[in-house]
Amino acid sequence: MRLLKKILAVSCLAAVVPVLWYAMVTSQAAASRPFAAAFNASEEFQFEPPAPGSYRLNTFKAAPDGQVLDIHGASKNLSDLTSGKISLVSFVYLMCGDVNGCPIAMSTLFEIYETSEKLPRLREDVQLLTISFDPSRDTVEAINSFAYPMQIDEHAEKKLPWHVLTTSGMDALQPILDGYGQVVDRSNDQDVINHLLRMYLVDRQGNIRNVYGLGTIDPRLLITDVETLMMEESRS
Amino acid sequence: MNRREFVALVAASAAMTAPFRAFADETCQSPYMPKITGQEEFVYVWTLGVEGMGDEQDKLVTVDLRPDSPTRGQVINSLSVGGRNEAHHGGFSADRRYFWTGGLDTNRIFIFDVHTDPSKPTLHKTIETFVKDSGGVVGPHTFFALPGSMMITGLSNDDDHGGRTALVEYNDAGDYVATYWMPTTANMQGAVAVGDAVADGYGYDIRALIRKNVMLTSSFTGWSNYMMDFGQMLQDADAMKRFGNTIVQWDLHTRQPRKVFNVPGAPLEIRFPWGPNANYAFSTTALTSKLWLIYEDEDGEWQAKDVADIGNPADIPLPVDISIAADDQTLWVNSFMDGKTRLFDISNPHKPFQIYEKTIDRQVNMVSQSWDGKRVYFTSSLLANWDKKGDDDVQYLRAFSWDGKELVEDFNIDFYKLGLGRAHIMRFGSSELYSS
Repeated sequence: MRLLKKILAVSCLAAVVPVLWYAMVTSQAAASRPFAAAFNASEEFQFEPPAPGSYRLNTFKAAPDGQVLDIHGASKNLSDLTSGKISLVSFVYLMCGDVNGCPIAMSTLFEIYETSEKLPRLREDVQLLTISFDPSRDTVEAINSFAYPMQIDEHAEKKLPWHVLTTSGMDALQPILDGYGQVVDRSNDQDVINHLLRMYLVDRQGNIRNVYGLGTIDPRLLITDVETLMMEESRS
Repeated sequence: MNRREFVALVAASAAMTAPFRAFADETCQSPYMPKITGQEEFVYVWTLGVEGMGDEQDKLVTVDLRPDSPTRGQVINSLSVGGRNEAHHGGFSADRRYFWTGGLDTNRIFIFDVHTDPSKPTLHKTIETFVKDSGGVVGPHTFFALPGSMMITGLSNDDDHGGRTALVEYNDAGDYVATYWMPTTANMQGAVAVGDAVADGYGYDIRALIRKNVMLTSSFTGWSNYMMDFGQMLQDADAMKRFGNTIVQWDLHTRQPRKVFNVPGAPLEIRFPWGPNANYAFSTTALTSKLWLIYEDEDGEWQAKDVADIGNPADIPLPVDISIAADDQTLWVNSFMDGKTRLFDISNPHKPFQIYEKTIDRQVNMVSQSWDGKRVYFTSSLLANWDKKGDDDVQYLRAFSWDGKELVEDFNIDFYKLGLGRAHIMRFGSSELYSS
């Protein structure tokens, strides 16, 4: 019986301590430096991000599920990947050469990935996802090559997890695109995939909490929304 | 490894599996939606049904604008929506695949599919629950696309049918997201009244400058006025007090109001210029006939001031729709009562001046111009109960060419003669926007 009580006490402590710790550090963070302060301001975004937690993030809709492939070719449920962590999700294709398209999303995510080393509190709570909308060319081999910089990064363990994903084909991809609302327009020239640049903030419960487009994909703004979500969780 | 090195490395690693090619991508050129920078192929006219005319229903009318088409300048489709709703304004979704339109009286929102066949829109979805969804907002007016959502301004409320109202956000699927009530003196929501501004809580148009995280809303009047007979309203002193006198500056990202400006006389349309360093917007006041500039000053603070008269304000020409040129140098300003369009030189936004005017017809409301400014289109209806009576109640879509000096009529479609109704907002369509 004494052993059982000890186990229960440890279990309760294990459940409560992270919550208390998180509430403590987030309140300290809010009182001190917001996460966004770790990023440099860019000329493209001529405003300061709002104070984290000073506003409410709406729920746009539930993020869709679907089957995706990781860089090793393993098939996974998208919802298994997104549940339990706050996710920044973007749809890209590796051959995209539009300066107002995928390169913006990729470089922004990379800036968050790199800077996250300075924000160790984020690693357990936040992750990055890129999903290819060109599965015929963005094969497992191709996305593995794309992910090469992260794979050889000696500091990867100190940074945000980044899931680089593709799908087995359009049958698997289209429901995911439709669910997120990512429009992809394939022209007669199969090399060109017209698309609207979009990024999505998904909470731990799998709800889309914000949608970003060209002009709002500012790492400071994205991370401020992430911090706002974390503060919302600590209050609830 | 910095951000730039990463991009180069990714490009190099991707090139190992397939050749790298550079593409232009039209759909990514706008933070809001893809634009038609060439020839518009169609114009969609959201049209009010008229009792005793045709099928009497509101309808989306499609007019052919393709230069080589045998039906150019003609109505090629008309899609009725089953009743009269006080059809008014509309706007495309951010992907420009759907055209959202509203009914100011019934509060219905009609979402048309314009991408499957741009020459023949179909009704995709009808939202019947706007008032209930929003918590009492009435009169869905401007439809302003944001990434993943549609922001809709209200004109009124179901409590007193006055002008107090809100912004209402739906996701792209047409599901309700949130309501943001306009600031009032009783609840400023953190906003600051500038000078002698009195936060009236009224709404009308909405536009945003994403680069500055600034959103502006203007203010008109409530259901009790916009559904009243115009002549009767002019004689009703109390009714004439129920017009908006404010423009509100919002934080676009947080949807929180920041400043309330005093802009007396019902400021209506808001237009931001396109230039990368142009930090201002124009609006016009219906009752006081002024052109207003809302601008960022040297200290980074946004301000509002009137910068020009439109016609003779004492004559109450009633400025309505405006259209800014893509090069930010000129602004078309329509005035309903005298049926005129006026062109202002706005190269110095602080000192605009009129350079041209032309009477379009006995009444005129909306104006739309092509991206190159060479084609200008006008429609006629303001509100069913505010349009002129008898022979002055002309209803049309009129197309003009503009050579920089003169508007020359191209074609004129008489909406009454065709049994269509009252022509209101216009939006352009093109099959070039959709490659599959």
